[in-house]
Amino acid sequence: MGALDRLSALGSQLSGSAGGKARILEKNADDIVVTACLRTAITRGGKGQFKDTPAADLMAGALQGIIERSGINPALVEDICVGTVLAPGGGATEMRAASLVAGFPDTTAVRTLNRQCSSGLQACVDVANQIKTGMIEVGIGAGVESMSTQYGPGAVTEFSDLLESHPEAANCKVPMGVLSEAMAKDRGVSRADQDAFAAASFQKATKAQAEGLFKEEIMPLKVKFEDTKSGETKEIVVDRDDGVRAGVTAESLGKIRAAFAKDGSIHAGNASQVSDGAAAVLLMKRSTAERLGQTILGKFVAASIVGVAPLLMGLGPWKAIPKVFELTGITKEDVDIFEINEAFASQCLYCANELGIPQEKINPKGGAIAFGHPLGCTGARQVSTLLYELKRRNQKIGVTSMCIGTGMGMAAVWVAE
Amino acid sequence: MASMLEFRTPGFNPYAVKYSPYYDSRIAVAASANYGIVGNGRVFCLGLSAAGIQIEKTFDTNDALYDLAWSEINENQLVVACGDGSLKMFDLGVDQFPIMNFHEHRRETFSVCWNPCTKDTFLSSSWDGTVKIWSPTRNASLKTLPIGCCTYSAAFNPKNPAIVSAVSSDSNLRIFDLRTPSSAKYHLTTMIPVHAPPSAGPVLPRLADGQTYAGAVPAEILTHDWNKYRDTVIATAGVDRLIRTFDIRNPTGGPLAVMAGHDYAVRRVAWSPHAPDILVSASYDMTVRLWSDGCMLPPLPENTIRSGAQVGLMNRHTEFATGVDWCLFGAGGWVASVGWDERVLLWDANTVLGR
Repeated sequence: MGALDRLSALGSQLSGSAGGKARILEKNADDIVVTACLRTAITRGGKGQFKDTPAADLMAGALQGIIERSGINPALVEDICVGTVLAPGGGATEMRAASLVAGFPDTTAVRTLNRQCSSGLQACVDVANQIKTGMIEVGIGAGVESMSTQYGPGAVTEFSDLLESHPEAANCKVPMGVLSEAMAKDRGVSRADQDAFAAASFQKATKAQAEGLFKEEIMPLKVKFEDTKSGETKEIVVDRDDGVRAGVTAESLGKIRAAFAKDGSIHAGNASQVSDGAAAVLLMKRSTAERLGQTILGKFVAASIVGVAPLLMGLGPWKAIPKVFELTGITKEDVDIFEINEAFASQCLYCANELGIPQEKINPKGGAIAFGHPLGCTGARQVSTLLYELKRRNQKIGVTSMCIGTGMGMAAVWVAE
Repeated sequence: MASMLEFRTPGFNPYAVKYSPYYDSRIAVAASANYGIVGNGRVFCLGLSAAGIQIEKTFDTNDALYDLAWSEINENQLVVACGDGSLKMFDLGVDQFPIMNFHEHRRETFSVCWNPCTKDTFLSSSWDGTVKIWSPTRNASLKTLPIGCCTYSAAFNPKNPAIVSAVSSDSNLRIFDLRTPSSAKYHLTTMIPVHAPPSAGPVLPRLADGQTYAGAVPAEILTHDWNKYRDTVIATAGVDRLIRTFDIRNPTGGPLAVMAGHDYAVRRVAWSPHAPDILVSASYDMTVRLWSDGCMLPPLPENTIRSGAQVGLMNRHTEFATGVDWCLFGAGGWVASVGWDERVLLWDANTVLGR
């Protein structure tokens, strides 16, 4: 029979390796690695420092940052994928233009995608898969959202009679706050626990900001800003998250009135903030990175996507994280840091408790409650937050995960190097 | 290790070694030119004497050889698994040519096992995704069991002649019971996903060291063997470097014990015929290791998977160790191992204990 078949069978027996942790820590030439990752500052929607900056400008800034920091020849980047949720027309035209502004030649392709709150992660995963299959050699996964300029009722078109007639389908348009309130009640996540979790997020973020732990991941941007009081427009440099408030405690959050129900538990202080921001991740094979002399920050290992009931949207990470463990053969003990998006304190806390993840492993620099959740950006933002923190602590394995509107969850495993 | 005996197979890289079930001084080796990738095969029938290991007979084949089994009813006959998909039966009293040729597999035959109970049948497994059961006196197979993917190893239960096991590249251990009707499942009674954690139970089980056992990713299973004392226990091993034991009565219960230590894929495992807890393994990491699965130790708390202990290490091979077998006779402990270093080594397992 075929000698080549026999040879490749032997080869695969040898290259196959130990399961779990040892396997994902191995360094192989065909690993998909991150050689640059960064984000802009994340600022408050409507009043923050990016309130007058369109999404495309944020993205152009982040992409420019990737070129500067990695020193890569922009012509080598074959595809850019931008996750963005609210942009009309998917933002396809603006993002292509933004890549040209950032300095990429017209030979660099650009597309956008929308998987709601996981769009940024999905963009990174898609690009990693494109590289894995050999479709491209170097690519950028990115995400952006300008909730200041694009958040509003226009994000969802009216449901047809057909959709409305199907009970589970109709549930897809129940507002996040309302369904999270119901879920918190249903799953018995108390107001006090949520407030304590949210206060911890603020405290961790305040501390991290004071210690300058976001410095490495944030790319400062120079933008125009209109002072609403004086009406005067000036140029400012934005280099820090302005949603982080010092001195927040569980007690101070306890005084805020619930937003979605009279006897409810969810309010502005224990849910993610409406924000603006962009993030980008430069991906390629390890062999390519070594050939180009790129510094390897970490590698992408695997990702999972799951569906849950639309009304239990917040359970996404609870289902996605075990699935990505199954794909990689690792356990929660192997993971040093979990970046789980804090869409709502209730759902993040519930997932962490159900999975038995210790508090000190979750979002060590705070999360979306403290500095915001620019929808399309978050998934890509978590990569730089995670990899720089793993490196600082001299740890290895991290997981990023988030729940997704309409009832989905996504998780990915990363290794810092 | 002064007591080690050595034999060289120049020009041929051994894939399997088997002690004769009749004589303590007779060993056969299935070997292939060019590492079994392209070229001929050769069977070495070796005799042990005061003068060392000597060739009793060799047989050449046109394609590589991957496994062999001694006949259980005729002390002079053996069957080899051939790269062209055939099985060939040789007789030590007949020169040069096989006395029977069984050719139905459409790709490489990877394993062959003689029925140890009724002794009137043998089976083979192949890259063509089937296991076939044969009578030594008939050219056509008696039965074909579909697996669907490359099946590296198949075996008869040591106590029950109707029970057949097979492991394959899809990470599954399959058990067939030939007494069941050949319905849509072709005698398949049990399928154990080797990599998977127990499916029952509210929490993941723990390993003895406190780590959670979440299972692993699917990986090719290259070898397995039935325990000679507990006839429901099977050890499996393969590309993920781990040796696991299973009780086929509890197919969803996950492994009984996990043995970690090999640095590359495990090519062959064999339970000791002399002790219920001891097994030996040969690996691409060039070592042959002795393990105890700990079944003699007091039971562990509920929902705990035992970590088997490595009790010995033989590292004299200088290339992939591919085959290993126990001598059935004597005080117990003699082992034959072969590797791609063109060597057959015979050694007493008692001399490598504690390494």
